[in-house]
Amino acid sequence: MTEMLPDKVRRISQHLRSNTRLINYYWQRTKRNKLAVCGLAFIIFLVALALIGPFFTLDPTVANFEKKNMPPLGFTIEQSIYNIETDEYTTKEISGTWEHPLGTDSKGRDMLAMIVSGARVSLLVGLIATGIAIILGTIIGVLSAYLGGWVDNALMRFTDIMMTFPFFLLLVLIIFIFGPSLAFIVLAIGLTGWTGIARLIRSESLSLRTREFIVAAKALGASDNRVIFHHLIPNVISLIIVIATLSIPGVILAEAALSFIGLGDPTVPSWGIILEAGQYSLNTAWWVAVEPGIMLFLTVLAFNFLGDGLRDAFDPKSNV
Amino acid sequence: MGKSWLRDYIIKRLIYTVIIAFGILTITFILVRVGPSSPADKYLANLAARGQDVAQVRAAIEARYGLDKPIYEQYINYLGNLFQGNWGWSFSTSMPVIELIETHWIYSFQLILLSSLFAAFLGILIGIYSAVKQYTKTDYAFTFLSFIGISIPNFWLGVMLILIFSVKLGLFKTYYDTTLPLFSLDNLKALVLPVITLGTGMLAGYVRYTRSAMLDNLRKAFVTTARAKGLPERTVIGKHVFRNAMLPLITIIMFDLGSIVFGGAYLTEIIFGIPGLGQISFNAIFANDYPVVVAVTLIGTFIVLLVNLVTDVTYTYLDPRIRYD
Amino acid sequence: MNNAILKVSDLKTYFFTSRGIVKAVDGVDFELRRGECLCLVGESGCGKTVTALSILRLFDSPPGKIVCGKISYDTLNLTKCSSKQLRQIRGKDIAMVFQEAQSALNPVLTIGDQIIEQIKLHLPLDHIMARDRAITLLSEMGIPSAERVMSYYPHQLSGGMKQRVLIAMSLSCDPQILIADEPTTAVDVTIKAQILDIFRELKAKRQMSTLFITHDLAVVAEIGDRATVMYGGKDVETASVSEIISNPKHPYTSGLIDCLPDTSKSTGRLASIPGTTPNPIQMPQGCAFHPRCPKVMKICSRQEPPETTISKEHKVSCHLYT
Repeated sequence: MTEMLPDKVRRISQHLRSNTRLINYYWQRTKRNKLAVCGLAFIIFLVALALIGPFFTLDPTVANFEKKNMPPLGFTIEQSIYNIETDEYTTKEISGTWEHPLGTDSKGRDMLAMIVSGARVSLLVGLIATGIAIILGTIIGVLSAYLGGWVDNALMRFTDIMMTFPFFLLLVLIIFIFGPSLAFIVLAIGLTGWTGIARLIRSESLSLRTREFIVAAKALGASDNRVIFHHLIPNVISLIIVIATLSIPGVILAEAALSFIGLGDPTVPSWGIILEAGQYSLNTAWWVAVEPGIMLFLTVLAFNFLGDGLRDAFDPKSNV
Repeated sequence: MGKSWLRDYIIKRLIYTVIIAFGILTITFILVRVGPSSPADKYLANLAARGQDVAQVRAAIEARYGLDKPIYEQYINYLGNLFQGNWGWSFSTSMPVIELIETHWIYSFQLILLSSLFAAFLGILIGIYSAVKQYTKTDYAFTFLSFIGISIPNFWLGVMLILIFSVKLGLFKTYYDTTLPLFSLDNLKALVLPVITLGTGMLAGYVRYTRSAMLDNLRKAFVTTARAKGLPERTVIGKHVFRNAMLPLITIIMFDLGSIVFGGAYLTEIIFGIPGLGQISFNAIFANDYPVVVAVTLIGTFIVLLVNLVTDVTYTYLDPRIRYD
Repeated sequence: MNNAILKVSDLKTYFFTSRGIVKAVDGVDFELRRGECLCLVGESGCGKTVTALSILRLFDSPPGKIVCGKISYDTLNLTKCSSKQLRQIRGKDIAMVFQEAQSALNPVLTIGDQIIEQIKLHLPLDHIMARDRAITLLSEMGIPSAERVMSYYPHQLSGGMKQRVLIAMSLSCDPQILIADEPTTAVDVTIKAQILDIFRELKAKRQMSTLFITHDLAVVAEIGDRATVMYGGKDVETASVSEIISNPKHPYTSGLIDCLPDTSKSTGRLASIPGTTPNPIQMPQGCAFHPRCPKVMKICSRQEPPETTISKEHKVSCHLYT
């Protein structure tokens, strides 16, 4: 029976709505993991920061050489300033101010503003690149599992080949060849990171096909459509959610690492780029290296906590 | 008994490895050809920047590298060159790429080896301890720490270590000196921070994997049997449980090689100035020295391929359930 | 005289879990006599396995704990002796055979490795002597080509063979007591018969004192000398096997006997005891069996029944007889 698209969409959304009890059940289980909840809270904070932060902070691109290398609030450092006329170094004490609570960098740009716009970049890269990887990985994994035969063979050999490339080395090569624009970086990360996902989805789909509840459903007369939508997809969705959450940190770090070695998009203020500049001024302005790193660390940590908690919540065998 | 079976399996795996190797070379070739600027362009841009006559050199290069010939011929040439050991010329260092690699790979190897030993030794011990003492405060502490270990961006860790130890505390200020022997005291001192940087992420991974593999096996029936025989607990854990846990652990550890270790080593070398393959690739990027970047990528990939093969065969050999079937 | 080789008095083993205290064993008394085969009988969940594990303290110790009781063996009290003393007894004086031979053997070690390990631990033999001893044992257990089997891995053997290997392993150091935890439950009928033969032989040839745990009364009838019926973590009736089957006093025991299919009748429903085994975290008040008992009285839901002596060898815990 051929179903019209709008009817299909309606049926699926109805199905998802009727599954609120299920969703609620999983949410309850996740809530019990305190670390996961903390992670989620931080992520929400980060999203809020990225969305509305830029409206409240200074312009991160404004360079103000008068105010360069100011420390964060609460810190006082000594700066030595070279006076051309007298050929002398004079030292002067500088303290952090409320105007630049996280200090400024070597060009006088406000750190807080840069960190906030960096949040935007990292989250966008994380979401889009992960999205690409997941879509690609899921398509390949599902196709492989369902079509079987030579298609499965060919796709899996291809996956093996791509998997053999060390992720970061391949990424560096691609960006080197194609140029470091943000769009390319996101695309490249997505196009190189799908292999693990494809493997997982394929093996899960294969095992689901033969699992007893599917066989039972078919024995009871369920049509293929119903089997796929009513039984298989809810099981695979939970896997996808967990994989997605656990993939985002790797993606964010990949972009940061690329920026760190200078292959990032220089027009975009990402945390990696800030860190890259910061490593050369450890003596004079250590906060430029510390702050973006802390943000990266906390973000990755948050996603890892959340992903781990979700994985435990979805696993029927783990007692949460 | 199962010996000829193992040989057959190795042969099968070797053939498969060769196929994958060809796939790797092909994809790399495609990437290079599809790129907006060819290797020649980058070289020429370099020359032009130094004020040399571009047009003439371009013609010479195109003739020599056959860039005006059809694609499949270029592909054959490419493969042929690689097999003959002609991996191109690195103009930024004025030597054949192969020579560049030959002189630098040992430093990467040393870094990765030391970091792996550090991570494996500590990681497995902590993982076993954590599993045996599940639900205790120590276990929770180690689990939490391993989360931190896998989350901390390893390049930031490197910079932080430099900040704390070298800048603020004044320790570990030696730089790696290639004129000294590999394992000289100065060089080893210079390697302390890099090994910690690269090793921490690996360590955390080892702890998690070992712990979970041990936990999987601690509840199994044969453990009670072992205890019922009167064996001391350390034998029960160390011999019976651990041997079962180690099997899947080997494969997981080897898989990490490609995804975590090489990327981490690349960054660590750059941060600490260790003259390994990552460092020369990094230098090459900014000199637009195409062949070097491609070569380092290929080397890394082939090492992963080789390690996968060795691991697969080793695992198959070690697991009696597969062996005698 | 009594000739008791192992005496369990008022044993209580509780598991302290996050969902509550599981009183797996809640006051069990019995004694194992020299040369006899005592069967611990009961449904799954009645505490018989935990009782057996408690003798050698093999249960998981963070949640589990022996809260009271005494287990006398030789001059020791096994509930209180040190781990070192316990380890010397395990596998040497008291040996245990487990239910699923499938998973009770270490899959990555050879059979020979696993047996020799135990022999060398307890007996002062060198490797060659230990190996010979192992091979002899395997042959005695009816395992063909014992020498080749020594280098096999568990997955290469059939279920019955694995079970024999386990029994051989447990006998390797000539124990005084053999505890068998449902060795015939996870195997099919033909192997079951073979294993029971082995146990009969053990009793005949070695005068092995055996504590045999099972839920199958038919097995009890075939192999046991005496039996202790357990329910809800307590022992409810103890008597010789012939006495228990012909003259059961406790309603649960009668229920179990009635459950055995009567092959003389060709039709009719299979009898069963109504209700389900009690939740070990929330045991019923008074006598644990009272919700399912056909002869329940008012006092049963309020007081736990004390132990009554029916005859010299027959004891029961039931209000019908107090």
